This record gives sequence, C-alpha cells and structure tokens, in this order.
Amino acid sequence: MRFRPRNVRSRLTLWYVLVLASLLALYAGVASLFLFLSLREDFDQNLLGDVETVEGMLAKEPNGGVSLHSRRPDAPEPRIGHFIEVWSPEGSLLYRSAALRDQTLGGPPGPDEGLHDPAPSTIRLPNGTRVRLASGVYHVEDQRVVLRVAYSEEGLWRELGEFGGVLLLGFPIAVLLAGFGGYALARKALSPIDSMTTQAKKISAERLGDRLSIENPEDEVGKLGTVFNEMLGRLQSAFDQLRRFTADASHELRTPLTAIRSVGEVALQDERSPAEYRDVIGSMLEEVDRLTRLAESLLALSRADAGHVQLQREVIPLVHLAREASSVVEVLAEEKRQQIGIEGDANLVVSVDRLILRQAIVNLLDNAIKYSAPGSGILVRVRSEGDKQVFLEVIDQGPGIPSEHQPHVFDRFYRVDKARTREWGGAGLGLSITRWAVEVHGGDISLESKEDKGSTFRVSLPLAKDSSTSPSKGGSQ
Amino acid sequence: MRILVVEDEAKVARALREGLEREKYEVVVAPTGEEGFFLVNAEEFDLILLDLMLPGRDGLQVLSTLRKRGLQTPVLILTARDAIEDRVNGLDKGADDYLVKPFAFPELLARVRALLRRGRTEQAPQLKLADLEMDVVTRNAKRRGRYLELTAREFELLEYLLRHKEQVVSREMLARNVWKETARATPLDNVMDVHINRLRRKVDEPFDRKLIHTVRGVGFVLREEE
Repeated sequence: MRFRPRNVRSRLTLWYVLVLASLLALYAGVASLFLFLSLREDFDQNLLGDVETVEGMLAKEPNGGVSLHSRRPDAPEPRIGHFIEVWSPEGSLLYRSAALRDQTLGGPPGPDEGLHDPAPSTIRLPNGTRVRLASGVYHVEDQRVVLRVAYSEEGLWRELGEFGGVLLLGFPIAVLLAGFGGYALARKALSPIDSMTTQAKKISAERLGDRLSIENPEDEVGKLGTVFNEMLGRLQSAFDQLRRFTADASHELRTPLTAIRSVGEVALQDERSPAEYRDVIGSMLEEVDRLTRLAESLLALSRADAGHVQLQREVIPLVHLAREASSVVEVLAEEKRQQIGIEGDANLVVSVDRLILRQAIVNLLDNAIKYSAPGSGILVRVRSEGDKQVFLEVIDQGPGIPSEHQPHVFDRFYRVDKARTREWGGAGLGLSITRWAVEVHGGDISLESKEDKGSTFRVSLPLAKDSSTSPSKGGSQ
Repeated sequence: MRILVVEDEAKVARALREGLEREKYEVVVAPTGEEGFFLVNAEEFDLILLDLMLPGRDGLQVLSTLRKRGLQTPVLILTARDAIEDRVNGLDKGADDYLVKPFAFPELLARVRALLRRGRTEQAPQLKLADLEMDVVTRNAKRRGRYLELTAREFELLEYLLRHKEQVVSREMLARNVWKETARATPLDNVMDVHINRLRRKVDEPFDRKLIHTVRGVGFVLREEE
C-alpha cells in the first residue's frame, strides 16, 4: 500500500523533505569524493617521495640480499607502517620490512613491473588491510631490483570517515529544519484556502448572497475565489429566477383554482335549474381549460429546458413562414381593422421546425395585434444581414414597452400590464415560448421599443445554405 | 360495442364509464393491469382504453404482452406523460392511438369512434344537416337552397363541424384538424372565436333555426335545436 498523506500541506512538506534530503545526499557524496581524491593525491605524492628516499637507502648485503640503512646517520628510520619489499627480477625476495611481518605485497614481480611511471595503485593484503602501493625498478650497485613501497590507507579512510561523520550529524538536523520550514510555508500559502473553505461551508441555498472574502484577487488563490464568487452569483440569479418562477406559477394556478372553487361552492348553495347548472359547470370547465393549457405550456418549457425537443427541420423561405403565421391570426387583425404587411425576399431560407417557428411568429403577431390601436398597421419584414444571418422583424405602432419592462418581457409569467393581459387568457408565457423557439434554432430575439413609438421584435436566425427556391421577390400583402 | 377501460383512478374510470355508456357503448372497468390482462384473455372487446401508469403492472408491459400473444383489438392509450419518446414508445409497443391527460371528452369520443370504424372510411362528399348542405368536391355550401359565401378556413371549419354533427367538438380537435397546429396556443383560441362568430353570421343569423351551438367550457356542436 502506498503512503499518501491526506492533505496538501503534508504532501508539500513531504516533498520538500524528500527533495532536500536527496540534494544533501548528493552534495555529501560529491564533497566526499572530492575530499577523497585530494587526500589520495597528497598520499600518493608522499608515497612517491618515500620511494625515492627508500631507493637511496638500499644497500647490497654480502650474502646477495638487500638491506636498508641510512647513509646519513641522522636520517629518520622509515615510518612505522611503511611496508617495503625488494625483489630480484627473477622473483626472489631480497628484503621485506618488519612491519609487513609475513604478509606480502603481491608476490614475485611481473616482467614489466615498475618499468613505467610509478603510478600508485591500491591493493589488499592477505590480512585484509588496504594499502597504497608504488613500485619501481632500481639498481643496487649492479643488481637490478624491484622496489615496492606501500602505506596502509587506514589514515585516509579515517579522515574521510570523520568528514562523513560530520556531514551525517548535520543531515537529520537540516532535514528536520526543512520539514518544519516547509510545513510552515505550506500552511501559510494554503491558509487563504482554509479560510475560503470555512466560508464556503456556511454558504447554503438560503444564503447565496454571501461571498468569499478575497485578500489578493491577483494571486492564484484569489483568482480561484473570484471564479467561485462569480459562480455563486450565477447560482444566486438562477435560484432567484426559480423562486420567482415558482411563485408566479403557483399564482397562475391559484387564480383558476379559486374561480372553480367559488363558482362551485356558490352554485351548491341554492337549488338551481338544469340550465343554470350547465352554465356553472361550463364556467368551471373554462377554468379547467386554462389550467390545462398552463400545464401544457409549462411542460413544453420544461422539456425545452431539458433539451428534450427534437426538431423536424426543413428548409423554407422565412417569408413564407411569416405568411403562414399571418394567415392564422389575420382574422384577429381584421377585427381591429389592422393591416398586416409582409415584405421580404423569398430567397432567404432557413432550416427550421416549421410548426415551432410558426408558433413563435404567431405569438409575436398576436402580441402586436393585441397591443396596437384599432386601424393601425403591423409590418413583418424579412431581411438578410451579411450572408449568415436573416432577420425577421415584427414592427407595430403600438404604445411601446416602457424601458423598465424591456429586459423582462421574455421572462416567464412576466406581464407588462398585470391587470390587462388576463382578459386575453394568456399566462405571460407566450414570449418566453417564443424566445425558446428562436433559440432552439440557434437564433436570437431582441426587442427595440420606445414609449409611444411602437415596438420592434427582431428575430435573427442563421441563413440556410440551400437557396434552391426561385428568385422571385416576395411583395407586400 | 364493448370497451374495456383499464384505469386505476376511480373518478376518471367512473367518468369514462358514464360518458361512454351514454354513447351506448358497453363498458367494463379494470382498476389494475393484472385485472385488465385477465379480462382481455377471458372476454372479447372491441376496444381497450389503457392507462399507462398503473399500480402493479405497467400499462406498456400489459400492452406488449397482449400484442405478442396476437391480440388484434385496437388499443387507445391514456396517459399523463407527454414526451414524444413516450408517445413513440407507446405506438411501437402496439398502441393504435394516444391521448394525453387531461383530455377533452369529445376528443376521446372522436378517437374511440375513429378506432371502432377503422377500415371503413366514410368520406361522403355530400354532407347535410337539416337545411344545411355542403358539397366537399365542388366546395359549395348551401342553406335553405341559398349559397353561403365562405372563406377557405370557414369552409373547412364548417365541414369539420358538419362531419361531426351532433357531436361536441373541442377546441383541441379544431386546432389540430382545421388549423393543423400541434399545440393549442392562446392566440388560436381567439382566432377560433372570431371564425366561429363569422360562421354564425353567415350560417345562422339570416335564419331562425340556429345550428351552431357553443357548449360552454367544452367546445362547439352543430345540431338542430334540442
């Protein structure tokens, strides 16, 4: 099982410590290596110097052996721990220093031992002592001998060991300090996150107005906090919208329910004629009808929200769709002696679900008819904008929509004139359904209106590529 | 004609029974899927009205089992679920038609009639009620021998009412069959009212016997006065 600390702080500290420890180990290794090399360099210099000295001390014994003796009486004896062997080239031992006892510095010499530069090498004596050995070929009087001088490396290693010991002693202290320092640093760096966590825990659906406090909006944590706050803002507005929607929806439900209830209760108070009962039931059914339609609209919108609508797209001239929509509602305009004019180029085609988009245009036209004065004119204009966009504008000469209402006209249940619209049977969902219908086709809807100057609803849709229709101009109606 | 109603909601079941019996159908009600299944296997029916959300056994399950056993009886599904996928699913499982709750009763009756006379289309070109006559081929309408001047939409509206004479026609039925709209939006209601008013002016006003009647809260009906 892998060890994995739970919080970032410990993980960061662990990393600090690991990295520092390996850096320290690397440093100690390299330093020891350099120390060792330089110590050995000195060692070898001494050794080679001593080889020269010993060579000068070699003397031939009458029995054919070789002995060491100083030519100058005040010269020091070779140091204890000097291991010296003198061999004849034929392989007979001529001299062995006492310090060696019965150890040997490697047996009889090879044919070219000592002929080259006397570079010292390290060998191991049979008793395990590591020694540094230098050898050379010399002449004692007229005899060729191979001289071997060696020092025990013990001193070298001891020095190295002491150095290592000092390093090792400092190592845990340094690591420990790094650990504490790293932990403190990580803690300091992460403390804004801790405080954000504490604050975020307190923010619930009921307290979405709260925001995280940010110390420095420029650093990484500050940016995170800012993003989080923006998200809270969007959430809050979504919640607000939902709350308003629920309140509005329940109001819309309550109104017909109240009507049904009071009509029914009042009717039951007295004995009535069958015709009167029929009238009462009919009146109740009218309210049921309103409820049914409300449920249908809400369902359509919720399906739209969930993206569950499959469009049955066909490529049609937008102006044809406008005519179809107009033919549905033109009787309403006729009743108010209003004229619906339609102009636009039949080459401007869109790929849309005919029924859905026609409904959207019907809603816009119905709106225009409703709010315009009798005898006024309504214009539907289809025009292109560049080669990607096509606009459909419904322009009326009505009273216009006050600017404070304009941002909300597409909201569900929103009514500019609260008292007036109900007589038309609408629940304030028409324009939000229209907006949905336009947006689901990748389009956009906007409103331009000035008080007493009429309103223009502008639907923009992506122009379809296929323009196989005849290039006849669509005139006005 | 025997109709099996599989519906767990007691009020709805009772309303369906009374409404259908008034139209001279024989009605058997099953409150659960199992009972409906049992009855279909035991007895003969001309039509089944099937609620989808039933306790115990799902309506669609019942339906697909019955269809697998080779049952030919037409099935009309009643449901409060109104997603296109549900609709397609229902029709795939072997339903003949689909009606979303809350439905208008005249609409239900129209669907029931249509399913029961399936295969026998009666698209007579000559339609008649009292002294009102319509010829669908020449597109002429006459009352008491006098030609009526109707717009195309008015003609279609009158034709639809006349084809369903003496039956109440709901606004949904008009929206779908005369205006060819899938959803009945608010503007269309106002449009319908205007058209019905105009039709009244042309068909009824000059004559003392009125044929077009409004059934408040339900719809319209073309009939001689009761």
